[in-house]
Amino acid sequence: MSPFYKFGYFGDEASFIIAFITGIGFGFFLEKGGFGSGNKLAAQFYFKDLTVFKVMFTAIITAMLGIFFLGAFGLMDISMVYTTDTFMIPQIVGGLLLGLGFVVGGYCPGTSIVSCSIGRIDPIFYVIGIFVGIFIYGEVYPFISGFANSTPMGRITIPEYFNISYGIIVFLVVLMAIGGFIGSEWVEKKYGYKKGDGK
Amino acid sequence: MENEIKKDSKSPKPYWNPYLAGLGLGLVLLASFVIMGRGLGASGAMSSAVAAGVSVVAPGHAMSNEFYKEYLGDGTKNPLKDWLVFEVIGVFVGGFLSGTFSHRIKRSVEKGPQYTDKKRFVFAFVGGILMGFGAKLGRGCTSGQALTGGSMLNLGSWAFMLCVFAGAYAFAYFVRRQWL
Amino acid sequence: MNELVITRMNHLIDPNLHIWGWEVPVYLFFGGLVAGIMIISGYFIVTHKYKAENSALTFLPYLGIILISVGMGSLFLDLEHKLFTWRMYTAFMWKSPMSWGAWILMLVYPILLILSFIKISPMIGALIPGLYKISERINKPNILKALGILSISIGALLGLYTGVLLSAFGARPAWNSAMLWIIFLTSGLSAAAALIHMIAKNKDERELLAKSDNVLLIIEFVLILLYLVGLLTSSQVSNDAAMLLINGKFAAIFWIFVVGIGIIIPLIIQLSAVTHRIKHTSVGPILVLFGGLMLRFIIVAVGQYSHWSSAVLK
Repeated sequence: MSPFYKFGYFGDEASFIIAFITGIGFGFFLEKGGFGSGNKLAAQFYFKDLTVFKVMFTAIITAMLGIFFLGAFGLMDISMVYTTDTFMIPQIVGGLLLGLGFVVGGYCPGTSIVSCSIGRIDPIFYVIGIFVGIFIYGEVYPFISGFANSTPMGRITIPEYFNISYGIIVFLVVLMAIGGFIGSEWVEKKYGYKKGDGK
Repeated sequence: MENEIKKDSKSPKPYWNPYLAGLGLGLVLLASFVIMGRGLGASGAMSSAVAAGVSVVAPGHAMSNEFYKEYLGDGTKNPLKDWLVFEVIGVFVGGFLSGTFSHRIKRSVEKGPQYTDKKRFVFAFVGGILMGFGAKLGRGCTSGQALTGGSMLNLGSWAFMLCVFAGAYAFAYFVRRQWL
Repeated sequence: MNELVITRMNHLIDPNLHIWGWEVPVYLFFGGLVAGIMIISGYFIVTHKYKAENSALTFLPYLGIILISVGMGSLFLDLEHKLFTWRMYTAFMWKSPMSWGAWILMLVYPILLILSFIKISPMIGALIPGLYKISERINKPNILKALGILSISIGALLGLYTGVLLSAFGARPAWNSAMLWIIFLTSGLSAAAALIHMIAKNKDERELLAKSDNVLLIIEFVLILLYLVGLLTSSQVSNDAAMLLINGKFAAIFWIFVVGIGIIIPLIIQLSAVTHRIKHTSVGPILVLFGGLMLRFIIVAVGQYSHWSSAVLK
């Protein structure tokens, strides 16, 4: 019964080795999709190249469908899977900050590591910036911890919150994603880089 | 003669079809859920690194600060011996392997034509600071919240993800000269 | 008279007393590296490969001298009574690996020095013209062959004695394996092959070293597995020691850094480079060197952590 680690099939040390191997897969596919390039990542937000949306949502619905069906067939105990608690307001503010950081910096933390690994120089400054940003957060945390922990909603999912069944939400998300993909293809055709642009 | 030329040309290979790359990514994510009962992440590893760094330079301060204490525990465990730290090391290796076999390894700077390298570095640094702070508030980054939490249909993660896109699109206009 | 007797069954000593810090693993690494350099130099001499145009033999002996000095410096830092070092050279205790090591290291310097006279690089020759005269006197086939074989032999001794040193320690089950000397020798050779492959100028030498490094990496991997198998099929304490590396305290860093990043990833990169699927890159050799260093660090650490008390305490 999965998740295997939560049922004690192997210990912590082995889990670190699995972390390493999983990371290799993660970094590999990120780079294959072109996420090692800050230009390609930023192009998403100028409607020139919507790879970010396509890759992200394909990954999300793949994993989401996997979890849903494994859970439905009784092969996975979803309640044992770790997921963060929801803190609505801080996460909204954090998301907006992250969006700003994304277009200014050109990466998100994961893709910045990939970009460093293929030799790019700018993500090195970005990673140092992340360390500084986290350090600043740590130092001001005693003063903002009230805000940072406000509106706690615990572990809550969309089906639970809107009181709609899990399966229907999964179906709607897949529909939305497919609609998004069709829309992306249309937008790229209209505004995206043409073949001769050298991108 | 033609074969020799083919062998020598190590021009970068084209990127994979984004849907295929997304599928691969999704399967890795799913495997992580199935095997470990947790998803992927990136910013958490950097937090561990910061906490480890602070605890080395100013241990007393680190232990008395609620935020760092979360990563340091009671002081007996090395904060760097953490699942996400090893995962991020793997991300670096995986990215490098993919880049090597696709001939995309190059020491260059990612930026638009209008900006100098130096200007780009400043922006990258500032962007990183915003990211670091935002990721802590948001309880993760696009890997941890959007990908992992998104596939779990976590409410906060979806709110976070929508805000990331909203924020990025909203501010993109103001930094367009860096990229276009 | 007060007599204090302490056994190892003292929680302050066993298993927490960690006597060897970073200095010893660093020395072991450089020792292995220079051993490999000596063996490769000797090989180039015996097979006349040194005669090629910009053969690495012009700088390898100097590199060897510098690196072994760094290693010995590190070893010196580890000594408790630094001023008594000279005593190591007042006797030869043939039953002590440390004594062997001290005298082997004594031989390493003069051998490397003589090797440096065989092929003088134009730059050094311009500085010290007298070297060319010495070079002429040495460059006779008999002398060269003897030097080459001597270099290979002393290099091999240097490489393997570090393993013998650790494996002679019966009280630390993780070290007490007959495989340790060949693992350290192979690792040192592999590290040297990687380093020279990275910095050599002659294309043939680089190809040869890249290919041999790949073979050495595979051998090293197999040897590590055999080492673990040997420990697992030995006594209970050896079994416990092996389990430390397999799923115990040191498992993650061992498999990820030593085997994964130190052997398997560079093997993949270098195999692809040698078959011309990707350009030759210095990342492979750097990872091999990193892996060799981590191997020494982890073996030294896990050795000190493994102990016999588990047999008694159970």
